[in-house]
Amino acid sequence: MEIYLPIAGMSINFFLVLGIGGLVGFLSGLFGVGGGFLLTPLMMMIGIPPAVAAASDSNQIVAAASSGAFAHWRLGNVDFKMGLIILAGGIAGGTIGVQFVKILRAAGNFEFVMKVVYVLMLGLVGGAMFMESLRTILRSRDPGAAAAVAEVSEPKLARLFAKMPLKMNFHRSGLQTSAIFPFAIGTIVGIMAALLGVGGGFIMVPAMIYIIGMPTIAAIGTDLFQIVLTSANVTLQQAMVNKTVDLLLALILLFGSTIGAQFGAAFGKRLKGEQIRILWRSSSWP
Amino acid sequence: MKRILFLFLVLGLGCLWAAPAAAFTPEVKQKVVTAASKNLIEIGLSYSGDQVHFFGVNPVPGSDLIIKLTAEKDEEIKFSVKGKVGPFWMTVKQYEVTGAPFIYKIHASKPVKEIVSEAVAQELELGYPAIRHKMKMHLSSGAAAADDGDKVFKGMLKIKEEANLYNIVEDPARLQVAEGKLFKHYFRFPPAATEGRYQVESFCFSKGELVGYGKDIIEIKKVGLEHWLTQTSQNRPVFFGILAVVIAVAAGLLVGVIFGKGGHH
Repeated sequence: MEIYLPIAGMSINFFLVLGIGGLVGFLSGLFGVGGGFLLTPLMMMIGIPPAVAAASDSNQIVAAASSGAFAHWRLGNVDFKMGLIILAGGIAGGTIGVQFVKILRAAGNFEFVMKVVYVLMLGLVGGAMFMESLRTILRSRDPGAAAAVAEVSEPKLARLFAKMPLKMNFHRSGLQTSAIFPFAIGTIVGIMAALLGVGGGFIMVPAMIYIIGMPTIAAIGTDLFQIVLTSANVTLQQAMVNKTVDLLLALILLFGSTIGAQFGAAFGKRLKGEQIRILWRSSSWP
Repeated sequence: MKRILFLFLVLGLGCLWAAPAAAFTPEVKQKVVTAASKNLIEIGLSYSGDQVHFFGVNPVPGSDLIIKLTAEKDEEIKFSVKGKVGPFWMTVKQYEVTGAPFIYKIHASKPVKEIVSEAVAQELELGYPAIRHKMKMHLSSGAAAADDGDKVFKGMLKIKEEANLYNIVEDPARLQVAEGKLFKHYFRFPPAATEGRYQVESFCFSKGELVGYGKDIIEIKKVGLEHWLTQTSQNRPVFFGILAVVIAVAAGLLVGVIFGKGGHH
């Protein structure tokens, strides 16, 4: 069954888009992350213009993250103060990023820059996670070493950032740290959200836990909160500046990913954490 | 005497000026009566291109036929020429191309160059060499090279042919002519054919001379939701952006309620 995408200006198989949404949703449900970083390249592979793929994925992410953000908000897992600082960075970064997209499209090099940033980013994040999982598995075979490593891996960076200026109290996270790093990471993720159509959870959550030093559950809740608003800003900016948001495409993706995510979450319960991280690493190799 | 000479000169120049115009103005020739299976193509949700059948009567039985499909308006396109910069393959220069039709398809009863001379083909824009001649290129970034013209033209043909927007079929099997008089064929409008007016011109040539001409107009229009989404995104981008966000948030929350687990991400 063919469906005509009005903004992409092309006709495409409805079930192919739904299936891709479903696959990415399955992986999202399994790994508990977004899927923007997988969705944009897959959209490009089936012929969606890169700028439309990135902008429509941002739109889909707003939907995908909003239900989770709402649930975490009700459970009290959102550190609003931290979230708003990251969000300020995210809005600035997203707005700059959309202008980058405009300039790069005019120069004809958007696709090239997008691919390079993807390869670098996924290579770095994936590599780091793979190593971490491998270490955890090796450690689990040697309980003595595990205790020693755990002591060394106290967040040194968190202590360093806590000494920087613009110190603030974050009650929900039980932290007193500088606002500079959360703003900076928000800006970087905002730029990437515009360039790649990703939510950026895979960078934001580790940064919140390991660098800012937030509790895991607050990091996840706060991340979802900022993703909804950062992606909403990117969607709005893309619609205004580049006119590349295909709402129809975003809705089909959302429909597919929602169903996929339910299966993914059910499947995920049967696997161990380290096994999941290794699988995740394999799936994100660029 | 001088006056008479002057008059001859003026008349002579007038004829010279008028001659090519008379020879190449297709509308003044005998009318080729044609009919299309439809004149309006609607782009709805399930649009995946369309096929329009054409029927016609050749006014000079036995003459050669060339049918041309083009968009009424030419388009301006930006072409990026890729090259190696260090280890990377990226855009090194850009050309703005004008004068090339958005869509260009020809059906001919035999090869175009066997039917008409190069001059006539160029005047009536029949065949790729005529398009190459008409196309104008302007370098907007990067450094020009001598063979850029051919490179860009070949690149354009490749892109257009792959999107099924350009093709030339010189085959009597595709353009069927019954008893040298009644002809029928069809044009496929690919999904990439956007909204606008398209013209299908039928030319009849006898011994290289244009003897008949007919024209059909086909309009492609987005309808319903497709029309509304396109118009809104282009004309009211702020509203469209806000709408996209509101729909996404509502859909996300609805999913959360339905599955009761707070969705994913």
